[in-house]
Amino acid sequence: MTTYLIRRTGEAIVVVIGVMVLTFVMIHLVPGSAARATLGTRATAERIAVFNAANGLDRPLAAQFVTFVKQAAEGNFGTSYSLNQPVSTLLAQRLPRDAVLLGLSTLLALAVALPMGIFQAVRRGRVADHVFTVVSFVLYSMPDFFFALLLIAVFSVQLHLLPSEAPQAESVAGILADPRALVLPVVTLTLVSVAGFSRYMRSSAIGTLAQEYVQVARAKGLPERLVLRRHVLRNSLLPVITVLGLSAPGVVAGAVIAESVFNYPGMGLLFYQAATSKDYPIMLGSTLVVGVATVVGSLFADIAYSLLDPRIRYVDA
Amino acid sequence: MPLLEVSNLTTHIRTRRGVVRAVDDVSFTLEAGETLGLVGESGCGKSMTGLSLMGLLPPGGAVVGDSSVLLDGRELVGLPDRELRRVRGNDIAMVFQDPMTSLDPTKTIGHQVAESVLLHRGCTRAEATERAAEVLGLVGLPHPRERLKDYPHQLSGGLRQRVLIAMALANEPRVLIADEPTTALDVTIQAQILALLADLRTRLGMAMILITHDMGVTAGHTDRVNVMYAGRIAESTGTDRLFRGMRHPYTQSLLASVPRLDQDPSVQLPTIPGRPPDLTAPPGGCRFAERCRYATDRCRTEEPQLTGADDHRYACWHPTSGPLPAGTTAAVPRPDGPSPSPSPSSADRPLLEARDLVREFPVHGNRLPGRARRVVHALSGVSLELGPGETFGLVGESGCGKTTLGRLLVGLDRPDTGTVTLDGTDLGRLRGRELRERRRDLQMMFQDPYSSLDPRMRVGSILREPLQIQGIGTARQQKARVAELLTEVGLPERGAELYPHEFSGGQRQRIGLARALALTPKLIVADEPVSALDVSVRAQVLNLMNRLQAAHGLSYVVISHDLAVVRYLADRIGVMYLGRMVEVGSADDIQLRAAHPYTAGLLKAVPVPDPELERAKRGTGISGELPSPVDPPSGCRFRTRCPLARERCAEEQPVMRAFGPEHTAACHFPLSTPLADAAAGRLNGGGVPGSAGGR
Repeated sequence: MTTYLIRRTGEAIVVVIGVMVLTFVMIHLVPGSAARATLGTRATAERIAVFNAANGLDRPLAAQFVTFVKQAAEGNFGTSYSLNQPVSTLLAQRLPRDAVLLGLSTLLALAVALPMGIFQAVRRGRVADHVFTVVSFVLYSMPDFFFALLLIAVFSVQLHLLPSEAPQAESVAGILADPRALVLPVVTLTLVSVAGFSRYMRSSAIGTLAQEYVQVARAKGLPERLVLRRHVLRNSLLPVITVLGLSAPGVVAGAVIAESVFNYPGMGLLFYQAATSKDYPIMLGSTLVVGVATVVGSLFADIAYSLLDPRIRYVDA
Repeated sequence: MPLLEVSNLTTHIRTRRGVVRAVDDVSFTLEAGETLGLVGESGCGKSMTGLSLMGLLPPGGAVVGDSSVLLDGRELVGLPDRELRRVRGNDIAMVFQDPMTSLDPTKTIGHQVAESVLLHRGCTRAEATERAAEVLGLVGLPHPRERLKDYPHQLSGGLRQRVLIAMALANEPRVLIADEPTTALDVTIQAQILALLADLRTRLGMAMILITHDMGVTAGHTDRVNVMYAGRIAESTGTDRLFRGMRHPYTQSLLASVPRLDQDPSVQLPTIPGRPPDLTAPPGGCRFAERCRYATDRCRTEEPQLTGADDHRYACWHPTSGPLPAGTTAAVPRPDGPSPSPSPSSADRPLLEARDLVREFPVHGNRLPGRARRVVHALSGVSLELGPGETFGLVGESGCGKTTLGRLLVGLDRPDTGTVTLDGTDLGRLRGRELRERRRDLQMMFQDPYSSLDPRMRVGSILREPLQIQGIGTARQQKARVAELLTEVGLPERGAELYPHEFSGGQRQRIGLARALALTPKLIVADEPVSALDVSVRAQVLNLMNRLQAAHGLSYVVISHDLAVVRYLADRIGVMYLGRMVEVGSADDIQLRAAHPYTAGLLKAVPVPDPELERAKRGTGISGELPSPVDPPSGCRFRTRCPLARERCAEEQPVMRAFGPEHTAACHFPLSTPLADAAAGRLNGGGVPGSAGGR
């Protein structure tokens, strides 16, 4: 177990370094320059040169990268061109808000998807299974922004039940203090991921139900409810956990859209604004954060997996 | 009043194809302390009968009609689910077939055994755990208290089956249903588990229903037998009478088609033609009529009911009187092939020669730097020779390295050291195109007829593929060759247009054999070619293999855990143990004059379809389980399980010594005297003759 963790963490660090190199290179390959974007199209060559010199953009890429890594290690991602604030400050402000939004919606998605997947597996091939399958595919194939707009149209514009704008408070406590405003963004993100998770859970539970140990559990005289809870749930969860760990980028991509639509002041909105104004430091910083979050997510998934599956836990025992 | 009284049990399963009448009007009784065998081929309804008693039918399944199951006078059919759950695992318990998949991999064995105690006894968790330790001890799990916290994957197959039995016995049920409890286990472990079940039955005064397809297991471990066919009982009587004086032609054919250790290999095995009827629309008359040698018009129109005295009932219009007499068993002599005991000592070069093969696999998993690299010693110096047209049988428990050896012989894997030479060419030196061309001489036939054929390829394409890869013939010639191959293995030519799932298991195994034959190879390695098949079909495939060998002068290496199968096919047999060859000899040498204690134990563990012989057996052959191939015992690897082991066995690795022409064994204290010792002085203990040996 320890060996496994050490090795797995080492791999994660290598991947993070790879992520840093890739994001840096990609962002500098994007056409258009930061100077033009910040200073406007009419800026003179001198002013651009001054801007580039001030931000170190006239140095070779490799040198820029070294500086970037050094500073990133100290938690310094540079200063935003357009907002004139340190990127680290901006990220520190926004990350907790995202933790609230994405955490809530992922938890909710699992709470719906896991029982739904098992239910469908138990009722495999019957009407209920088909109905849920159709619903899943509709949700899965609907674009996030369209879905968000649809919810706004129905619940805010038509029914006046819920506000169309997310909470604007600065602090996490402030956001949580306005649960009604949180409903639509959370529901949007939840429904989008429910579809995927429940499909995985369904096929995984179908596999588990066919296992002989499920029949053995029934032969003991366990009621079906307990058979499902004790023996089917945990074993079916394993493949879903892997998917969950790798779902971070998808969730963040969903957040970029949902946050723009609902004007939620999170990372997604920040990134969206930075991308339109070619604010390299913010883009670099937030891409890196998402990259690290993905790596950490999959690391956590592996750890959770090994806790749930003794076959992995004891591999070197 | 009998403990269990089943009358008119009828089970229907609704499927998309229609209603399957899985169990049809089955009646029997069971007394405490008695074992009743339910015997028959797959799909005959024996497992469904067991599941019906437990109320554990698959979706769409239901017990219908005037079925009745009385347990101690209490009607179980129609009991509400809540009541039935109190019976399940408490009064009636079940042991399933596959110990590898029957335990929840995420829970400790202590927890799983305690679960059924907690459920039925209303005791505390501590008491349940205490009881779990007690029953785990009862079923022979060593150090049960320390192992409560073990997870299933930490136990071997044999130990897992013990845990499953413990789980079933935890509440001291009155009836135990064992559904093929040893089919997935090695013969040595099978003997131990069956002995355990018999012992527990006596000690706890349980009644047992033993569901099995194995006539040997039936002979040794049942008091009475119900032979089932197509959902009905065909014959029901005491075990002795069933084997000596059966009245139903199905029982007769079933027994005759089982290859026995003393089977005359020169005579074809009798087979049962055709396959069991479709149970969605069973035929009107006797269900066996289609396949019966005695069937008349009456059998096809009028269904026979169970008749006869209470202690011997059978459903047949033309009952037989006992087994098929030997000799008259429609015995087609085996076609003249190579002489039964070819002599590789003659001048001609062996076709295949393996020398000192060593193959080791790194242990998967993670290793901290500095910790020693651990390897599985799959093969530790194995040699063998094979002449043209000869069949070499490889036997041993799972994990002994026989499959690895097979893969090395056909060049699917390379040895770490040692050589495999085919017709004078060292396969290890061949690379790329040369090796690919050589592969046409070396083909393989696999165990599982379901996973060894690509389900999305038509049979025609499957058979053509080897020809295309090797670039043999034009498209037209290839198609003609496919038709020829299908005819040769006894399948219709139009089969080329069908997909594998449209064939039965036995037919698929024929397709596998046809594929191996496509390139007219010199050697076919058949890895457990009939293990997945029913006995009647098994005989058909074995006969086919023999016929094709004679027709094409093929050499076979037959790998099997079933000594009777190997004995029937092979000219010479090699017995492997933990990566080493421990004994090699002619089929007779091995069966009648075994020199190595392991061979003798293995033979003893094979269940024989003869109740008298089975009862006469003492002990279970070999005790204990195969040690880990990661850390094999020093000296003689078998010493940890050997009744004759002494100090010398741990210190010195035995070399192969000759016990007769072509008969060698590696043992310090063999069961018979080696030739060199017998002729001491004259031979001066010279070189070791013989064609095969191990280091």
